[in-house]
Amino acid sequence: MGLVESGKLPKPLTQLLNTSRKYSLWMYQWGLACCAIEMAAVMAGPRFDVMRLGVIPLPASPRQSDLLCVSGTVTDKMVPAVRRLWEQMPDPKYVISMGSCANCGGPYWDSYSVTKGVDQVIPVDVYVPGCPPRPEALLEGIVLLQERIQNEDMADKWRGDPIVVS
Amino acid sequence: MTVTESEQLAYVAAKAADARVNVELETDEGMTLNIGPQHPATHGTLRIVAKLDGEQVLWVEPIMGYMHRGYEKLVEVRTYPQVTTLVNRIDWLAASCNETPFILATEQLMGVEAPLRAQYLRTIFHEMGRIAHLTMFLGDMGVQIGALTPMFYAMRDREFVLNQTESVSGGRFHPNFNRIGGLKDDIPKGWLEETIRVMRKMEAFCDQMENLLLGNEIFEQRTRGIGIIPAEIAQQYGLSGANLRASGVDWDLRRDVDSPMAWKHADFDVITHTDGDCYARTWVRLQETREACKIVTQLCEDLPSGPIMAKVPRIIKVPAGEAYVATENPLGEMGYYVVSQGDLGPFRVKIRTASFHNISIVPWVLRGVYVPDIISILGSLYFILGDIDR
Amino acid sequence: MSSADTEAPVEDDAAQQEPDERRDALLAGLTERLGDDLLGSHLEPGINLWIRVTPEAWVPTMRHLRDDLGFRFFEFLSAIDWMPSPYGRYEEAAVDVDLHALRDAALAVDPTTFETGVAGGDTRFQVFARVVNVAERDLGIIVKADVPPSADDPAEPGAVGTIVAVYPGADWCEREVHEMYGIGFDGNPNLRSLYLPSAFEGHPLRKDFPLLARHVKPWPGIVDVEPMPGEAATPGADEEADG
Repeated sequence: MGLVESGKLPKPLTQLLNTSRKYSLWMYQWGLACCAIEMAAVMAGPRFDVMRLGVIPLPASPRQSDLLCVSGTVTDKMVPAVRRLWEQMPDPKYVISMGSCANCGGPYWDSYSVTKGVDQVIPVDVYVPGCPPRPEALLEGIVLLQERIQNEDMADKWRGDPIVVS
Repeated sequence: MTVTESEQLAYVAAKAADARVNVELETDEGMTLNIGPQHPATHGTLRIVAKLDGEQVLWVEPIMGYMHRGYEKLVEVRTYPQVTTLVNRIDWLAASCNETPFILATEQLMGVEAPLRAQYLRTIFHEMGRIAHLTMFLGDMGVQIGALTPMFYAMRDREFVLNQTESVSGGRFHPNFNRIGGLKDDIPKGWLEETIRVMRKMEAFCDQMENLLLGNEIFEQRTRGIGIIPAEIAQQYGLSGANLRASGVDWDLRRDVDSPMAWKHADFDVITHTDGDCYARTWVRLQETREACKIVTQLCEDLPSGPIMAKVPRIIKVPAGEAYVATENPLGEMGYYVVSQGDLGPFRVKIRTASFHNISIVPWVLRGVYVPDIISILGSLYFILGDIDR
Repeated sequence: MSSADTEAPVEDDAAQQEPDERRDALLAGLTERLGDDLLGSHLEPGINLWIRVTPEAWVPTMRHLRDDLGFRFFEFLSAIDWMPSPYGRYEEAAVDVDLHALRDAALAVDPTTFETGVAGGDTRFQVFARVVNVAERDLGIIVKADVPPSADDPAEPGAVGTIVAVYPGADWCEREVHEMYGIGFDGNPNLRSLYLPSAFEGHPLRKDFPLLARHVKPWPGIVDVEPMPGEAATPGADEEADG
């Protein structure tokens, strides 16, 4: 769409498109380790229901997902798989790094086989700290991401420019 | 349906023979199917490369290491209390259970024993970890077979147990509550009564699961007679826990090994089953959840008063020696072989995890089975990737 | 360190005072059966029994344990590197240190002067395994064997026999030991990598394998106080946190 790329979309339309995009995130949960259980509690548990925020779990394939939530330790052996599956996701896509292992290596910061943070491999939008983060913390991370999506410049996102949060 | 050992071996031999015949008839070797490492049905980052002939498996190779975090190297550069923190995360669904054998091994080397109240509380946390873990298993086993509903019941009821763990230690899982010599803190007021109420709820959950899952005809057809592991093979591969007991071997470390924990003060049964198939493993774990509820109730009612921490120095230096302590964890038998040379931290710790050995039997048990049975057998053997890969 | 160490020490108050008849009988039977192959043993009454055998007797001992003495449950197999680590531990990671010099200095020390564990040891690497007799409640035995140095390079460990024919569950354990230590297992065709990516170089669990992150960054959090924005930055660790 030439309008979006050149940034000539009127503001109300941008707001509308951003709002509809933030409330229809299909989340590809990359559950690796302990944080995956908290993520499962958020997804499947009736207590911390994430579907009320518009986020639904279990897309059939990465090609149908919008949001990647890397939860758990990323090892060097796993990195090619992370990269490949992230590349298979269509734009616009967002990444949440959940837990301290995915943020920065976590308690395994000095291990010989752990990647110190998934942001070495893929760009991350929201970091949720904790070991493991409480489900409420993940919900907060998703809400922050939604705020970010609401305020983002669609033209920048389309062109692939780095997002500047005002 | 009881199956004799000769019938079990005949079943396995027939399946393997089938697979061999198919190889001879076909000119090419079959299709390679790669399951994982990211797949909703493999409890984590396990990669299975299966060579198939149509719908039947010729051979299977599990490829691990996608969650290998280098525990045995990391613990050499940590102090003993720091190791306790790290070790929580091996079997991440039942964290108190990971801490227990390491703490017991260190205490054995130091020659301290935790006071009686701490022993009771440690056992209570251990069994509550078991309940949380096996609840997840029952939900997960349904998901492997294709029944999605039990998972929601399991996640909901698990929250009650996690609430109790959280009210004591602040962490839902990874409570990090054990200390060398005892526990960090005493339990809050009203915790015991609430825990007993939660145990009633968990027993109701077990009844629900029995009706929902085990009584279901489809579940029975998909798990009865599938993945039979004879007792002798199970022992030689080092299978442990419910997997071993479902094959008929009566071995439970809670009853058989004398350890400074409170299992000897509780009255519980050790459940075995003779079939050794997927149904038996699921059934044994369901009964174990009930037994765990019984144990927790009894220990909560009989909890003695007293200190919760033995006299240990502030900076822990463990005298030189070697010790091996294993406990009955929800996944099986988990043990720590601690080698100390009198330092602040261990010299070498060999972590013997249950899932590593449970999964080592996979190439043997998956020969000649059909593709959907791969998932039900893996689900019933039950592993946690952190436990396999450490 | 290599003497036949058949003491039964009286431990502190935690151990039982009465003699452990089952383990005593087991040790006596093994001593008689193995003879000179039994290089050392250690008995903790009521707790555990360790024996150390020659590398040649490794496989026959395991076979004897399984077939004749009923130790049919395979618990684990692993290895120890007895060399003291030349690198810092706990919160003492040193930044920008000469790793090669440290490692070469450590390797120059004679392996037979290392402090080895119970039941003794002569070489830098030892394999050990534990098997259990499930029919007799709580009767397990830990068998150790020294790994002879490799014929090509005396600084590298050689090989011991494989016990896969005795306990099939040892297959993956031997793969792991081979990957982590470089110890060979004669007769095991399956010694591929288990955990590490195929491009990984080195054997991580050896003591001379450095954890590089520890030498590039200090222990996280050791810098206790971050300067406020605008203040003069005070670099380095102001106070070392206590272990």
